[in-house]
Amino acid sequence: MNFWDKISSLDRRWIYLLVAIAVILPLIFPADFPVRITPEATQLYEAIEALPDSSVVLLTFDYYPSSTAETEPMSFAALHQLFRKDCRVFTMTTIPLGGPSIAERVTRTVAQEYGKQYGIDFVNLGYKANYVAVLKGMGTSIEAIYPTDNSGTPLAQLPMMQNIRNYKDVSFIFAVADNAIVEYWISIVNAQYGTPIGAGVTAVSAPKYYSFVSSGQMTGLLGGMKGAAEYEQLVSKPAIAMKGMGIQSLIHLLIIGLVLVGNIGYFFGKKKGTRGISV
Amino acid sequence: MRTTVPVIIAFLSGIVMIVSFFFNPDRTILGQIESEVLVWVTIVGGFTLLLGVVSITRVNFRSVRLQKEGWFFNLLTLISIFVMAIPSILPVSWSPLFGDREGSIYDWLFTNVDSIMMQTMFGLLAFYIASAAYRAFRARNAEATILLLTAVLVMLWRVPMGEAFLRLFSDDLPQWINSYVMNGANMSVQRGIIIGAALGAASMSLRILLGIERTYMGKG
Repeated sequence: MNFWDKISSLDRRWIYLLVAIAVILPLIFPADFPVRITPEATQLYEAIEALPDSSVVLLTFDYYPSSTAETEPMSFAALHQLFRKDCRVFTMTTIPLGGPSIAERVTRTVAQEYGKQYGIDFVNLGYKANYVAVLKGMGTSIEAIYPTDNSGTPLAQLPMMQNIRNYKDVSFIFAVADNAIVEYWISIVNAQYGTPIGAGVTAVSAPKYYSFVSSGQMTGLLGGMKGAAEYEQLVSKPAIAMKGMGIQSLIHLLIIGLVLVGNIGYFFGKKKGTRGISV
Repeated sequence: MRTTVPVIIAFLSGIVMIVSFFFNPDRTILGQIESEVLVWVTIVGGFTLLLGVVSITRVNFRSVRLQKEGWFFNLLTLISIFVMAIPSILPVSWSPLFGDREGSIYDWLFTNVDSIMMQTMFGLLAFYIASAAYRAFRARNAEATILLLTAVLVMLWRVPMGEAFLRLFSDDLPQWINSYVMNGANMSVQRGIIIGAALGAASMSLRILLGIERTYMGKG
């Protein structure tokens, strides 16, 4: 076994250690990195900026707690921009596990900063099962699908919701999601009711949505933590996603380095057949 | 009878949804029927969640009762379900610890246990991805080499340090990746997949409406 064979068969625990170091180092020694903003993020930001003040915006929390590192900063940044513009925001989720709680916590945190009142400036509709029917049904009547908000208060008792009957009364939908629900927002809501939709999604699902942005079915796109960092920069509220750029940079560079070393070992080593290896 | 009735229900429900698309829900009976059907669907959806809880309880309870291998984990699943569910169902008027609002038992468990565990499981992916990339991502042939080079470019482009590195070669390189890789090659492939999947979904829906596809009833 030559040197490169040894490199190729490196114990995976060394790789885990390197990953741990790459995550921990930027936390101990934080550094600011300039984040270049993509045209898709700018498009989303400008679309919201172009809305008249006090417009009604639907912000969705279609993500599980597992992906909050990527998606939650987008929700925070979106609320900063929306409340700064005095938009009236109602939130909902198609995720039963945690969706309503995350929406409640995030919205109330930002609302407090801007002195917004529940029922007047923002409302949390919560979760309803069977998302296709929910998305379609809200096109006719939001109240028929959500007779009450997340706390059980009838929508008729919430001043903000009295003039919001269906999608015709909604100026913009900002979907933050970690799953394929954005496709349904596009195919059911944008295609059938014409409501403009912008989305923030996880990095792994972002490539799919470039075609929708290009066709005009989506108004802007944020992809992963980088997208969240871009949006934080756009709304001038640098927060957790901007801080995460150091960690993500090191991890990406580490993985690229590992791939390169692995391939050099593969070409210069004697053992070429490495099938069925454990990761 | 057990097959015919579900097929008739599926056919009528589907036809109502298709035809009503062309009518104003406020002005036509068909549109109003559509609205009503959609409300029913959300109610049925709620019951399917309950059905899921009943099913998972039955399966896990049987494993615990028969003390099958790993029964302890089945017991933990059962305890977790009921410790989370029961306090959230009980009315808030009985105690502020009930319900699912901030300060409730459910909220505490969700924030401090459930949410953290889900984030941890997701975070562990970074370790496995790094190890898998090191061992399996090999430039074995031309296609794999193109994939590898594209992946490296996109990974560099998606982070500030990588983008700064790309700018050493050309200031336009990050923009080039956005235009030609993400909005070029990636987009054309994704469009093909999306159109193909949509056509497949449309043909499958038609098969269900016409009663040709019956696997959803457990029939071949």
